[in-house]
Amino acid sequence: MSDVSRPNLPRVRTPPTDPVLDELWSDPPGLLGKLKAVQNDAIGKRLILTGFFFLLLGGSVDSVVMRLQLAVPNNDLVSPQLYNELFTNHGSVTMFLVILPIFEGFAILLLPLLLGTREMPFPRLGAFAYFTFLMGGLLYYSATLFSAVPDAGWFAYTPLSGLEFSPDLAIDFWVLGLGVAEVGAIAAAVEIIISVLKMRAPGMTLSRMPLFAWAFLVTAFMILFAFTPLIIGSMLLELDRGFGTQFFNVDAGGSSLLWQHLFWIFGHPEVYIQFLPATGIISMVIPTFMRKKMVGHTWIVGSMVAIGFLSFGLWAHHMFTVGLSPIVGSFFAGASMVIAIPAGVQIFAWLATIWAGRPRWGTPLLFTVGFLALFVLGGITGVMVASVPFDLQAHDSYFVVAHLHYVLIGGVGFPMFAGVYYWLPKMTGYSLDDRLGKWNFWILFIGVNVAFFPMHIVGLMGMPRRVYTYPEGLGWETYNLISTVGVFIIVAGIGVFVVNLILSHRRKVPVANNPWDAPTLEWATPSPPLQHAWSIPPIVTSRYPLWDQDDLYSGSEGDEALVEALGQWPLRWRAVLATSTADAEPEEVFRVGGPSIWPLITAFGTVTIFAAELLKLRLGALAGMAVIVIGAIGWNWPDSPPITEEEELEFEMAHKIPVRVGGSLTVARWGMGLMNLFVGIAFMSILLAYFYLRLDNPAWPPPGIENPSPLAIISATALIGVAGWGFRRGLRRIREGDGDGLLRGTGVALLAALGGVVIAGSHFIGLEFSSQDHAYGSVFHTLGWFILVVTTAAIVMTALIVYWTVRGEYSERRHVPVSNVGFFWTTAIIVWVIGFGVLYLTPALT
Amino acid sequence: MSFASAGSFDPRGPVASEIADLWWLMLALGTAVFALFLYLLIRGLMRSDDKEAETGSRWFLLGGGVVLPAVIVTVVFAFTIAAMRAIPTEASSDPIVIEITGHQWWWEIEYPDLGIRTANEFQIPLGREVELRLTSADVIHSFWLPSLGGKLDLLPDYTNTLILQADEPGDYGGMCAEFCGLQHANMAISARATTPDSFNQWVSGQQAPAVAPSDELTEQGLKVFLSRECADCHSIRGTPASGDEGPDLTHLASRYTLGAGVLDNNTENLADWISSPQDHKPGIDMEDVELTEAELEALVAYLETLE
Repeated sequence: MSDVSRPNLPRVRTPPTDPVLDELWSDPPGLLGKLKAVQNDAIGKRLILTGFFFLLLGGSVDSVVMRLQLAVPNNDLVSPQLYNELFTNHGSVTMFLVILPIFEGFAILLLPLLLGTREMPFPRLGAFAYFTFLMGGLLYYSATLFSAVPDAGWFAYTPLSGLEFSPDLAIDFWVLGLGVAEVGAIAAAVEIIISVLKMRAPGMTLSRMPLFAWAFLVTAFMILFAFTPLIIGSMLLELDRGFGTQFFNVDAGGSSLLWQHLFWIFGHPEVYIQFLPATGIISMVIPTFMRKKMVGHTWIVGSMVAIGFLSFGLWAHHMFTVGLSPIVGSFFAGASMVIAIPAGVQIFAWLATIWAGRPRWGTPLLFTVGFLALFVLGGITGVMVASVPFDLQAHDSYFVVAHLHYVLIGGVGFPMFAGVYYWLPKMTGYSLDDRLGKWNFWILFIGVNVAFFPMHIVGLMGMPRRVYTYPEGLGWETYNLISTVGVFIIVAGIGVFVVNLILSHRRKVPVANNPWDAPTLEWATPSPPLQHAWSIPPIVTSRYPLWDQDDLYSGSEGDEALVEALGQWPLRWRAVLATSTADAEPEEVFRVGGPSIWPLITAFGTVTIFAAELLKLRLGALAGMAVIVIGAIGWNWPDSPPITEEEELEFEMAHKIPVRVGGSLTVARWGMGLMNLFVGIAFMSILLAYFYLRLDNPAWPPPGIENPSPLAIISATALIGVAGWGFRRGLRRIREGDGDGLLRGTGVALLAALGGVVIAGSHFIGLEFSSQDHAYGSVFHTLGWFILVVTTAAIVMTALIVYWTVRGEYSERRHVPVSNVGFFWTTAIIVWVIGFGVLYLTPALT
Repeated sequence: MSFASAGSFDPRGPVASEIADLWWLMLALGTAVFALFLYLLIRGLMRSDDKEAETGSRWFLLGGGVVLPAVIVTVVFAFTIAAMRAIPTEASSDPIVIEITGHQWWWEIEYPDLGIRTANEFQIPLGREVELRLTSADVIHSFWLPSLGGKLDLLPDYTNTLILQADEPGDYGGMCAEFCGLQHANMAISARATTPDSFNQWVSGQQAPAVAPSDELTEQGLKVFLSRECADCHSIRGTPASGDEGPDLTHLASRYTLGAGVLDNNTENLADWISSPQDHKPGIDMEDVELTEAELEALVAYLETLE
């Protein structure tokens, strides 16, 4: 049987081009080089280390102080204000600045190795994701310097988080700092999706793809669908706080619950966004350490996809106590419980693999077993809180604190430890001490149970969450004291981990390429891997290539010649292979972006907008926007290809595969597709707010406000239609090589669209009601301006296309940006028509 | 402060009993599932015999991964629906109606049909449904008496209705269960369930206007109350004091605690509370009141007569 560990790994070749390519793919030296770095190793490590840094800075100190405060009743170790800041920070940091970036770092670091490719598809986007995450985190933390520390919980419920009840800047730091970090999370998600779908080694069909990649594929899509509504929700909250809109003001047509819906549409999927990557790690560790291929591979894939979908249908189970009708309540209870089935499938697939294999007791397996025990317990209490009547007791009590920590520490933290013990030696080249690893595990496992198990009981006895103290005599004392002791045991466990890291760094005991006898591609590379990971891209014919394949270079004749050739050519630019989505057939060879300062500058522009809003410097926001536009232009500026079209053609002829030094066609198309998806989700989130507010209000528009006349918008719409038509014509012309036709078409598009936006914009400026008059006015103006901003973005892109057309940048072969902008125009027009249709036509429907 | 805190483990009314039954059922099922899982995990890890390959794996996945959770979840869902139907969402007949308005950080309590206004503590008759109409004057709060039933939020833009009933006499305490700002932890509420007779007695006591001062000291105390900032925010029915920002004090002396559960209501604490509320519950609207010792003594003496 092939599941028996193989003494002979597949042959791995080290071609003479290794050092040349390693050099080519290295980030430039020096400080400036570090700022320009885009290489996936660097970005991945930075994300993980920064996440860990934020965990130490916020997540862990907070919990120790909180548990000290709650060790005894009526304690006054900390003031109520400080306590509220601590638990707000603890939740916000762990949910936004720790788990997600660490996992995205895992993905960016490991995916190229696991998938058998050299780089992520958009290295500069990865750098941008890192810098926005870092700057967002720092902006959030800078609240401390201004003594305006967020104190309304990680959920920031309105109206408590509104201006009336939180008048200082604390909530603005929360909204804006984390908002920047959310932008980074989305950018990294786009990067992850495309790498998994388009950058796999030849032969790695979807069914041969490792479960780790599946987990991140589903997760990254969920990030896109979940974080976008949160960004929109945060924007509405900030509009209320900074611009006097009325979305959440109950006295002017706003709603106290709209925020909760927007927040939990993000917040519940967020739990699975954190959990699925963890299962991806577990599904890699179990086969290796049980020396057995995963049982039920397809079942696991199916259940991850199912969890991804289901998790968006059960947000309201966080809102059972707001007074939902029984019908709504039972629907969400049922939906929440159904998720136990895909979760159960995963658990039993792991159990089946454990039954079928023989364990090798390394630290990663120990953490995996600990994960299973803790997560199943947390899952069982999860089914309980999905039961509406029981949740009415458990909700916002310490029972839920217990439940969520079992799920997040057991279900997410333990797999992270398993992953670090599993992969760190590969990345550093130095082994970790297995005996210390076992101490680390047992102390942590005991600590988690001592700290969190008693919380189930004290919660059901009536202890609410988020209280800075509690009275004596209610029988809560002992349980709280035990929990406090437990937290110190956890700290000791983490201490052992840190010691182990330091010792590994000091002792420098080198590890072999494949110390665990693991089956997946990354273990065929040296420890640590080369910058470009693969000189000769591997060819995959099995889910477990290192167990099943004799070598990594055998496939179809064409593939063999292609990967061989890619080991020799090109040596002057960063070439990667894109493969087809389902079958991983080679599709094109393209050039990925190299080191660049522009991602940093663009990230800086992004954070400037948010920081300017914080300081109420509205001109600063314009400056930030200008920096972003300049940054994006510099980032995408076409630089002279390091080879001629003839050289491209030669390789194309030899290997029957397009070579695109100007950037990939398919990958860029996917990138634009995901950007359109982002715009679409943001648009739908605003529509959701529109219809929620509309149903919440007896009259729409409210008394005193008339439906505005649609005439101006109708004429603007006609112009936008002309613009879309013009752009399409231009695109068709350049496909035939007609550069003048492109110029005419895009020129018409530019002028017509400008006219349309000016007409619609001046109509909006002249409206008789403002965004501050009633929630109707707020949502009307917000949706309208959103549409105009999307169209303006299309106009800016069109202007650049016109400019580059004049300079003769485009040809029949090289015009990827034109078709991408055409794609964006489609989205912009759909948003325009539906958006203005909702604003001007639907009020007549009632 | 003394609340009987049996919690949701120890139900004292039909709603809480219904939920407790559901909990014990789920606990039993959950424990069985967890035990089965642990057995499979440990046996699986300990097996050292040579395996009969993957023959049983499909059954493992189908039986353990799909059928088992599906059955468990169906049972739990059925009992969930049953419990939801058993828990009343509107009162059957002739309930006692109580309007509770959440404030940062105290509870305003009104019996509209009985003409009673009070704060933080209320009474209900045994064996009769009470209809609690919950709303908020500021941010979101949540009402929760674990021994009597589940919680329900107090929202500024809706009125939620909660039906509860107590079947055994006792003081049932609870705390605000939705984070509502600085002093969220010090926002206790309690319901005393008593026999219909003693409930009626309490009602007539609460309906009466405040007792008039009967001696010079209390007379002086009322004067202090009216002349200082007290009356801007507090009402005492039967006197000109009619502020409505803070709790109604008409029958302050009949309450057991001060500041929504912060202090026991006795002479010493009352004086302490009046002169330095910000020490006991920092951040509340009530400022420290600066009074001479004589004024404070008179004021406390007066307030203590407000049975």
